[in-house]
Formats: sequence, C-alpha cells, structure tokens
Amino acid sequence: MEQLLVPVMCKVDKIIDETPDIRTYRLKMNDPAKMESFGWMPGQFVEFSLLGHGECTFCISSSSTRQGYFDCSIKRAGIVTADIHSQLEEGMDVGIRGPYGNWFPVDDIKGKNLLFVGGGIGLAPLRSLIQYCIDNRSDYKDFTILYGARTSSDMCYKEEIEEWKKNPSLKVILTIDKPEETWKENVGVVPKILEEVVKPGTENTKVITCGPPIMIKYTLVSLDKLGFAPKDVITTLEMKMQCGLGKCGRCNIGSTYVCKDGPVFTYEQLKSLPDEF
Amino acid sequence: MDYSKKIQEIASKLFADNKINYFVGYKQNSFDDSQVPFLITDPAEIPKLVFTDRSVFNLANYLKPDHTKRKRVGLVVKGCDSRALNLMLTESQVKRENIYIIGICCEGVLNEKGEKAQNCVECVMPDPVVYDEMIGSPTGKREYTINADIRELATKALEERADYFESIFENCIRCNACRHSCPLCYCAKCCIDQETSTLYHGANTSSGAMHALMTWSLHLAGRCVDCRNCEKACPSHLPLHLLHKQNESVIYENFQQHLAGMEKDDRGAFYKYSLSDPDDFIL
Amino acid sequence: MNVFLVETDKTGLQKFYEEIIGKFETYAPVEKFGKYDYKRISKLDECDPDSPIETTMSIKPLFFPKTAKVMKFKEDNTGTTISETDEDSLTGKRIILGVKHCDARGLQVLDQVYNWDYIDTDYQKRRGNTVIISTRCDKAGTQCFCTSLDYDVEKSDAHDIRIVNGLDGKIYIQAVTQKGEGFVKENISQQSAVGSQQSLEEIKKHYKSFEASFRLKMDYKEVNEKLQKLFDSPEFETVSSNCIGCNTCAFICPTCHCFKITDEKIKDTGVRYKSYDSCNNGYFTLMAGGHNPRPVKYRRWRQRALHKFVYYKERFGMNLCVGCGHCAISCPVNISIFDVVNQVAKV
Repeated sequence: MEQLLVPVMCKVDKIIDETPDIRTYRLKMNDPAKMESFGWMPGQFVEFSLLGHGECTFCISSSSTRQGYFDCSIKRAGIVTADIHSQLEEGMDVGIRGPYGNWFPVDDIKGKNLLFVGGGIGLAPLRSLIQYCIDNRSDYKDFTILYGARTSSDMCYKEEIEEWKKNPSLKVILTIDKPEETWKENVGVVPKILEEVVKPGTENTKVITCGPPIMIKYTLVSLDKLGFAPKDVITTLEMKMQCGLGKCGRCNIGSTYVCKDGPVFTYEQLKSLPDEF
Repeated sequence: MDYSKKIQEIASKLFADNKINYFVGYKQNSFDDSQVPFLITDPAEIPKLVFTDRSVFNLANYLKPDHTKRKRVGLVVKGCDSRALNLMLTESQVKRENIYIIGICCEGVLNEKGEKAQNCVECVMPDPVVYDEMIGSPTGKREYTINADIRELATKALEERADYFESIFENCIRCNACRHSCPLCYCAKCCIDQETSTLYHGANTSSGAMHALMTWSLHLAGRCVDCRNCEKACPSHLPLHLLHKQNESVIYENFQQHLAGMEKDDRGAFYKYSLSDPDDFIL
Repeated sequence: MNVFLVETDKTGLQKFYEEIIGKFETYAPVEKFGKYDYKRISKLDECDPDSPIETTMSIKPLFFPKTAKVMKFKEDNTGTTISETDEDSLTGKRIILGVKHCDARGLQVLDQVYNWDYIDTDYQKRRGNTVIISTRCDKAGTQCFCTSLDYDVEKSDAHDIRIVNGLDGKIYIQAVTQKGEGFVKENISQQSAVGSQQSLEEIKKHYKSFEASFRLKMDYKEVNEKLQKLFDSPEFETVSSNCIGCNTCAFICPTCHCFKITDEKIKDTGVRYKSYDSCNNGYFTLMAGGHNPRPVKYRRWRQRALHKFVYYKERFGMNLCVGCGHCAISCPVNISIFDVVNQVAKV
C-alpha cells in the first residue's frame, strides 16, 4: 500500500488565472516517458499533493486527446488549496497519483445528442469530456453546452468558451445569476435557463451535469420535469477522498466506494444510494 | 451515597414544569455495577436514572455543542464536575439560564477495583460550587495536598522521568478520548487536529503523541479540575493525571494557591497577571 | 480437514513457546498499565499468552500499523525529490502468540478490503510472513458475542495453530492450516503423542459450557436483514446520544481500517505518514468549503454501525464486526456495537 501512496513528481508548466478564486495548473511529468504512458479518461481524478502541505483530490480538466500535459483546475476552498494558490508557482514540483476512479461512459454516449449542464467549477470535469468529444466529433451528434456562474468574472475557461462559441457544431448557452451591465447573454440560475431557454428534447439525448450541490439538486428536478429518464442523466460526485484506492473508507456511501465505483454516476444509480452526499 | 430517588424526583419536576428539554444523568450498565452517562429527552426514561458512588463520569462534558446545542439542560454534578462547569460558565461556553444544576455533596466515587478513587481521596472541594439545587450536606473545602505520584516522580532523576513519560507516549494510540471526555476541551477544531500544519501533524507516532498530550496538558494548566475523566476514558490506561497534577502543583505553589474553577468568574491562573508573579520556575 | 494434533501439558507448551521465542521474531501480549498489547518479546516470562480478552488490545497494528511512513521528500532549488523510507523490508518471519480467535478472524475480514482492486502489498507481506498461534478461549468475556456472527468460531481457520485446553490439564497443539502444520512439525522437538479422534471428543467435552457462557446472543441473519432497511431509523440518535465522539472504538477495533495521509515537514525535508483515522471523527468527511455529509454524531454512528453490519457484508461477503467486544470495553461510556445494532433492529 505504502508504495501505492507515493506520488509521481510533475512540474507546473503554466498557471492560468480563471477567476478570482480558481486557477488552472497545467502539469507535465518530470519523466517524459511517464507522461507519454499517462493515460486517462474524461471524468477521472488525481491525488494532487503539494508536499508538506497535504494531498487533495482534483479531477483532470483536460482531455487525453490533447497530449503532453494535463490540467487541474483548483478552486481556493480549504487549507491545502489556499496553500496551493499562494505558494505554488510555475516551475515548481507537485506530486501526482492517479488517474483514479471511473470515467464518463464515452462509448455508451456515442451516436447521442449531448447536453452538458455545468455550474461554476463544475465545468472542470465536463471540460475534459467536452474536449474529448470535440476531438472525436464524428462519434457524437448535437452538442449543447449550458454553463452558469454567479457573476461573469466567476466563469472559468473564458477563452476556451469563446472558441467553443465560434465552433459551428457546438451550441453554447451562458448564464449568470444576477444582471450585469456589460453582460449580453442569459441571466438566471441554471435550472431556470434550462427550462426556459434551452428547452432540450429528450430524444436520443444524454445529459452530463456537474456543479455545486444546490445547482445539481434543482437541475435534477428540472430535468425530471423535462422528461429525462434518470438513466440518461450522468453526473460526477464530490466526496472527501484521500487514498483514491478504495481503502481509506472516507468516500463510502453505503457499500459504494466513490473513488472506485465513481465519481461518475447516473442519476438512476444515485437514487439507489443512501442519502449521504 | 444513593441519591437515585431524589434525582428522579427533581428530573420529573423539571420536565413537568417544562424547565428543561434534556436531562443528563447516569444509568446502570447491564453487565456490571458500573454506570454510564444517560441523556434523556423523554420523561418516561426517568426511572432509569441513578446516582451512587459509581457515578463517575463528569457530565459537564455533555454541555459541549456536539451534544446538547441550544438546549435547556438539567444535569447532575459532583464537586469536581461543578468546578469544571464553573469554568465553562466563566469561559462563556454555556449560558447559565439554559442549565439547571443539581449539585451533589460528594462522598467520593469508586474506581474499577471498588476502592475510593485516588482523586476523591485528595479532593479539595467535594461540595458543588455552582448549583440550583443541592443534595446532601456540604462538608466544606479541604486542604490541598500534593499528589503522591507527583511527589514520587519528583524524587526520580531527570532521565528516569523522561523515560517514564516516553513509555506513556509510546502506548498512546491517539484516539483523542482524553480530549473528547474533557469538559474543558471544547474548541470547535483542536489545534492538534490541523491536518496540514508544520507544527502539529496527525501522524500516530510517539513524538506526535508527546506533542499532542503535552500541548493538551498545557492548555489545561490552571484549568484542570482533577475529575480524571480523561484517565478513565483512556483505552490504554495511561496515567494522564501525572501531566495535569504536575501543572496543578506548580501553579498552586506559585500563584497564590490557585485552584481551578473554585470561584465564580475566576478565569484561571494564567489570565491574571501581576508584576509580582514568580517566574523562577520557568526554564 | 485433516487433523494434526499434538498432545502435551503445561510444561510441554511452555517448552514449545520457549523454542519459538528463541528461534523467531515473536510477538505476544505484554502487560503495561493493566492493558495487554502485542509487543516483541525475547523471553516467555515477559508476556502472557493467556491474557484476558477484556484487557488485550488487537493484533491489527502488527499488520496495519498505527503509523506507517509512506515516503520521505526533500526540497532544493532544483525541485522536490522523493525517496523511499528506511522501514524494514517485511521479509522476516514473525510469530504471534496468544492471539484470540476473534482477533485472527479480523485479519481474514481485512484481507478482503486490502486485496480487492489495488493490492496492499505491505499488508500482504506481513500476512504471508506471520504464523499466528491462537489460544482457545475457555469462556466468554462480558462483551463477547463472537458466536452470534457470520462465522463459526469452533471451525475458524483464521489462525495457523490453535492451543486448546483438554480435560485433566491436557493441552493440545492443533495445526489448523498447512502453514501451521509445517511449522509445528519443524519446531516441536519434544517427544509427544499425536492426538486422535478421541482427543477431539475430549476437547468438545471440555468446551461444553463455552457456548452457554455468552451473555450476548443475537440472530445475525435477522439483524442484518432488518438493518438493510433501517437507514432512516430514529434509533441511531438515541443509541449514540452519550457518545463523546472520540476515536477509541475504531482504533482498537480489529477490523476498522480507515486511515489518513498526513505530511510532516520541517524546513526542506519531510515525511508522509499513513495513520489511523475513524468515521467517528467529525472531520472525517468534511470537505474543503465546509460541506460535510455526516455533520452530526448520529450520522457518523449510523455509518459505523451499517458499515460493520450491512455495507461490508454486501460488498465483500463478510461482516466487519467479529464480536470481540473491544469497543464496548474501551469506550469511555461503554457503547457496544452489539447494543447499537440490536436496539436499531428491534423495531
């Protein structure tokens, strides 16, 4: 076990300020051979350690179809993330273990229309999948991305979203919670926009959603109203994790280990779990 | 000393008058003569309440927010427990109007072997110092004597003492039962539990245990009331009182014979500063 | 199961023990402050292989140490380098004396979680290199309920060798596993009669009163089935009301296996540790940002009780409680997992 807990050292290649409290760290493994063989699927996570400060769980927010690096988008929320924001600079070393967990069912959703519903930092795991699907565009049908944030400055990946908007094969809908002077897109919380503006059809469609718990809660209600079957709604769960190996017991929900059986679940699966997340 | 009936009567009255919605007392264990704390909200449970010389646990511990947050609580306290409660009141951890205190003039409780517990033999204040209702007749304050174990420890050479304490720390499993059973360890997040501090760390090593226990005992210096809840809670049976009694004796000798929690609004030896305070015992 | 049984007496057994202690790295219950803990011994009189179950800690730390170093790290201006720790290689053969049956069963239970998916090699090595010599309990302790669970104490094969008392001061050394049989054959030098079917009968006679000595008994199947549907039971709040929230029950439990990973760093160098943690700890599931799926005591107790009696069974096919009663004895307020599950399942 102890060997399994030893991380691989990576260098911070680039730090991108996304919002006042979210930064994306672009990482490359110190050993190029390891980087090359480091394969992951969208939705998987890594254990990210700033040595001496602690280890945290983050999803990989880029796709393995874009080789040579991987991204972790980190929101300043607790002690370790605050240390990462204040002390981690470009060129410094971090420890990475992973990738762990299951991934979005990229094969099952082939040939389907995809509706991505994201809120705040919740776009990070979706971004990995969106990139993956864009790079395998011919496998999938219509793309709709609904992304909401509290304010316009709280939106992540602004440049990439601009690119997505220019892409004629993607439909991108943005929203913020409260009106702002320069804001020309939608205003309102995600579930409301989903029902009133996006009005998605359920036929041959899979919904992939991720965001803060409160958004997920009401989005699931809206999706239910719109007629989506629970098995067609896919989300990723956030739970305190530490080992990522299905041993330390932190992420137990019933007999499920979120770090092994998740973090990606369908709404149908979530319904069968005890209400403890 | 069997005040079970009396306590049951008072508890019934408190519930009937709607003065409390929680009562904290003792319940008999089914497997031997020991007793455990018993928290009730339902007056139907009152007949199970007992109080004898086996009522060991310091119930002031249950006034911590984890247990009875924002509740009106009736509880039973012995002399030492009431001193702890006094400190909790002084340190604004509980609101006086929210608690109804049944103070017992304690005749001493028994240890596991059935003998009078050592801290009861050395007790300085068997009567409750804060109460709404008193049971038994007060016998008054007694003289403070320095604990026999501390006197014995003082005769040992420094290395010998260090070895002894090391053997204590080695057996510590860091379960934090000592801390959680102490009414005066009420911090919402203990400094020892900080996951990523360079000063304290969670690792379960004996140096970690030493660090944790020493810090803990220093935070309780001048506040420990010698109820020995920690020692009774320890699954490794570590003689934790040595840490506290050592501090207590130093404070008693150097700070105007100060004893924790004896008087209302006494914030403890370390909160009062006077230029004439001695400092020759500080390294 | 073929029976390999050596008949001897108290002196013979002592001789057997002494030989083992002389030859191998041996661990046995050693008393300190009135509690027995498994420690390395060099002489038989340092330990008591017949230590009472109530005051004996679990053997878990010998396989899953309370703290293990994961790695060392050092920072300099070129970056951070990781190095292995100087922990031992876990290749030496170890013998443990005086293990209780329930405690040994605990290891079988732990095997399940450590051997699924990612394999814990250090645990595996420790398991492989250890011969467990167990002493059969003559009667139950106050908090014991091992006979009420999903395994058969009489037929347990969790230990390699079993020391059993017979009639008239006879003592039998019984090999339970292949490993145990090989070990006894190799290490028993004294001339001793090999026991027969008749001896087995005698043992049975001696233990006639064993089953009756249990204060605590329950119907495991019924409790397990009922608990599966009782996630929302209000009883969890009642049974946990006087829990003080320490981690004692988990740390001394032979089957609790949750751990945490922490760093200790001084200046440029540091160590990463893996040490015990417990679901009874309020911070256990607290996430950065403040969300906690189990913010209150009764929810943590519910996780503990259901993990032991439902979830683990569902996932790995074994009950995560072996009925040793250590938690109830060591708990500052004597909360017994037995009482908890039975009270919840009572409805």
